[in-house]
Amino acid sequence: MAITDQPFQLSSPVRLTPSVKACCNTDGGLGAGPEAPVVALIGAPNTGKSTLFNALTGAGVTMGNWPGTTVEVSRGVWRSTASAASCQCESCSCDAADEPLDITLVDLPGTYSLDPHSPDEALTRDLLLGEPIAERPDLSVVTCDAARLTSCLYLVAQLRERGLPIVVALTMADVAAKRGFEVDASALARELDCPVVAIDPRRRNGLEALAATVRDALAQPEPSRRPVPEGVDELAIEDERFAWIAHVVDVASGAAAQNTRTWSDKVDRWVTAPVIGPLIFLAVMWVVFQLTTSVAAPLQDLLDGVFAGPVSAAAVWLLTTVGLGDTWVQGLIVDGLIAGVGMLLTFVPLMALMFVLLAVLEDSGYLARAAVVTDRLMRSIGLPGRAFLPLIVGYGCNVPAISGTRILPNARQRILTALLVPFTSCTARLTVFVMMGAIFFGPYAGTAVFAMYVISILIIIGVGLALRGTLWRNEPIEPLVIDLPAYQVPTLRLTASVTWLRLKGFLQTASGIIVVTVIGVWLLQSIPATPGYGFAEVPVAGSAYGVVSASVAPVFAPAGFGSWESTSTLLVGFVAKEAVISSWAQTYAVDAPDESGAPGDLGAAVFATFNESSGGHPIPAALAFMVFLMAYTPCVATLAAQWREIGGKWTLFGIGLQLVVAWSLAVGVFQIGRLLL
Amino acid sequence: MTALLKSVAPSAALAPLSAVLAQVALGTSTVAEMARNTGLAEAVVRAGVDHLVRTGRLQAQELPIGCPPGGCGGCASATSCAAPAPDGSRRLVTLSLARAVL
Repeated sequence: MAITDQPFQLSSPVRLTPSVKACCNTDGGLGAGPEAPVVALIGAPNTGKSTLFNALTGAGVTMGNWPGTTVEVSRGVWRSTASAASCQCESCSCDAADEPLDITLVDLPGTYSLDPHSPDEALTRDLLLGEPIAERPDLSVVTCDAARLTSCLYLVAQLRERGLPIVVALTMADVAAKRGFEVDASALARELDCPVVAIDPRRRNGLEALAATVRDALAQPEPSRRPVPEGVDELAIEDERFAWIAHVVDVASGAAAQNTRTWSDKVDRWVTAPVIGPLIFLAVMWVVFQLTTSVAAPLQDLLDGVFAGPVSAAAVWLLTTVGLGDTWVQGLIVDGLIAGVGMLLTFVPLMALMFVLLAVLEDSGYLARAAVVTDRLMRSIGLPGRAFLPLIVGYGCNVPAISGTRILPNARQRILTALLVPFTSCTARLTVFVMMGAIFFGPYAGTAVFAMYVISILIIIGVGLALRGTLWRNEPIEPLVIDLPAYQVPTLRLTASVTWLRLKGFLQTASGIIVVTVIGVWLLQSIPATPGYGFAEVPVAGSAYGVVSASVAPVFAPAGFGSWESTSTLLVGFVAKEAVISSWAQTYAVDAPDESGAPGDLGAAVFATFNESSGGHPIPAALAFMVFLMAYTPCVATLAAQWREIGGKWTLFGIGLQLVVAWSLAVGVFQIGRLLL
Repeated sequence: MTALLKSVAPSAALAPLSAVLAQVALGTSTVAEMARNTGLAEAVVRAGVDHLVRTGRLQAQELPIGCPPGGCGGCASATSCAAPAPDGSRRLVTLSLARAVL
C-alpha cells in the first residue's frame, strides 16, 4: 500500500492545475498516483467515517491542515480488491473485479449538508462542487448511520440533486437493530437511486462489497439528478427534501419501525401529560419528603441525644475541670456552639437522604420531565416558560437561581423571575420545616413538609399572575421546546458523588453561617437590656436579643406566633435560614437548661411557646409560622444576588412584596386554622 | 409517504420543517409531542429540529438543571451562574424560534 507522507500543499484551498485534482493535491506524492481515481469519504459527524477510512487505508495515513485553512484532512491509498461475487450492485460490470485498483481516498470533514456553517463544512462543499468539474472527486462514499438515517440523508438528497456520483455506506446497522428497526439496504438503494452497501468498518465486514460497488460506480456514467422544486423559497426546498427523506426512510425501514415506542416514550406519555403529569410529580415529591422524614427521623433523634447528652455533658465537665464552669465561656461553648452546631449536624442524615433521592430522580431523567410539567404550567398562566429553570434551581438554593435568571433574554422577564425565586422553598428552609413537622405533626411530618412545597408553588403562581396582571402586562411569551433525555438506571457513582458534593456544600456554608450567627446571637443574649444584670448573666428575655424581639413580636400576634422566642428566630432567619434552628436551640438552652446544664427538650419548649402565643391553637400557629418562614426574605445572600441582578429598587420592592405576602398568608392561615383546629 | 404518518396531516407530510416550526410557535414542549401532533415520525421531527437549529431558524440553548457541583451551600458565595450541572449528569436543551422566524 502506497502511503504518502507529505501534507497537502495547495496554494488555494480548492483549486489547482487541471492535471491534478484539487481534492487530492500534494506536492511530494499523490496518493495512488495522478491517474488513480479519487474517492471522497464524506458524511455527517459520528457516522463511522474515520473508522471506515482507517479500515480502508490502513494505519499510515497522511493527516494535515488543508492549505490556507485550519481544517484537518486525511488522505491515503485504498488498494481495493474485490471479487465479483462480493459485489452487491444490481447492474454489476465487475469483469476486472479481481484486479487490484489503487484509489486515492480523501477523508473530508464531516458535514450534514452542502450548506456550510463552519470552515470545515465549507471546505467539504468547495471540494465536492469545485470548478472545473475535472477537479472534483470521481466519486463520493457517503457514510450514513442506520440508527440516525433521517439525519444523514439530507446530504445525500443534496448530492443527488447535483447529479454527483455517490455510493452510500450504511454503518451501525447493529445499533439500529438494538433500537428496534432495521434498514433494508436494497430498498434504500432503490429509493435513493444510488448504490447502498451495508458495512461494519469496526469488524471489517462489507469492505469487499463496498470496493466492488465503488469500482462499478466509477465505471458508470454520471447519474441522473433528483428533481428540485423551482420558483419557491429556501424553506420550501428544504421542506421538500425532508418530505423526500421521510418517504425514503419510511420505505427502507418501515413506518411501524420508525414509530416504535420505547418504554421511555410510553412512560413519558403519562409523566408529561397535562393533567396526570403534575399529579405524578406531586406524588413523587410527596414520597421523597415522606421517605426523608420517616427514615431519617430516628437517626436525627439519636444524634440529638448525643449532642444534648454526652457531648454537652463532656464539655461542661471539661470546662469545669479547667475552671471555666458556670462562666460566659461555658455559655458560649455549650449553649451556643454545641447547641447550635450540634442541632445542624442532626440534620445531616436527613439532608443526605434528601440529596440521594433528588440525585436519583435527576440521574434517572425524571427531573427533566418535571421541568416539562413546570414549564407547561408556567406558560399556561402566562409566565415565561424559560423561567422554570431558575425556579427549579431555587428549590435547592435561591442564590444561584437568582443568577440563573440570566438565561432569560428579556430584562423585564428577568426581573419578574428574580422576584418569584425567593418564594421557592430552599433546602435551608427544609430543615426548619422538618423540625416543625416533627414537633407539631408527628407521623404526618412528611405531609406537612410536602404541603409547604405545594404552597410555595401556589404562591409563585399567585404572585406571578398578580405581577403579570399589573406590572408585566403585554409581555410576549416565547415558545420553548425541551429535548428529553432517555430514562436510565441511576448510577451509584454519580448519585454518591452528587450527594456528597451537595451535602458538603450545604455543611460548609451552613456551618460558617451558624458559627458567626451563634456568636452574634450569644453576644446579643449576653448584653443586658434590663437593669440589675451583668454581661452574660441576664436572662434572654431581658437581654438586647429578647427585648428587640419582644418589641417586634406583636406584629405576629394575629398569626399566632407573637412571642419573642419565635420572633427572634425569624429575625435571625432574615440573615440566613440555616441559622434559624441553631438560634432557637441557643435561646432555649440558655433560657431553660435542664438540671445537668445541657440544653433541654427543644421540641417541648417550642410547642409550649406556640401553645401560649396562639391561645391554645398551636397547630394553626405552627402552620402559619411555616408559611411565613417559607414566603419571607430567604437570606441576605439572596438579597445581594438580587441587588446585583435587578438593582436596588426592585430588590427593595421584592422585600416589601415578600413581607406583605408572608404576613398576610400567615395571618390568614392562623385565623382560618384556629376556627377549624 | 403517507404510510409514515399516523394521523395524516398533509401539510406536515409535505412540509415537515414548516410543521415543526409551527409546533414550536404553538408552544409544544417536547419532540414526542411534536411527533404526535404532526403525525411525523419522531426521527423526522428530531432531524428537522437539528436542521432548523443548524440553519439558524431555531435557537438552541443547553440548560443546566439541578444544583452546581459545589452544592447549594457552595453557591451562596458564587458570583456567576447558571453554574454547570454536576459532572456526568444530563442536561436540557431548550429551543426557541429565531427572531427572524417569529
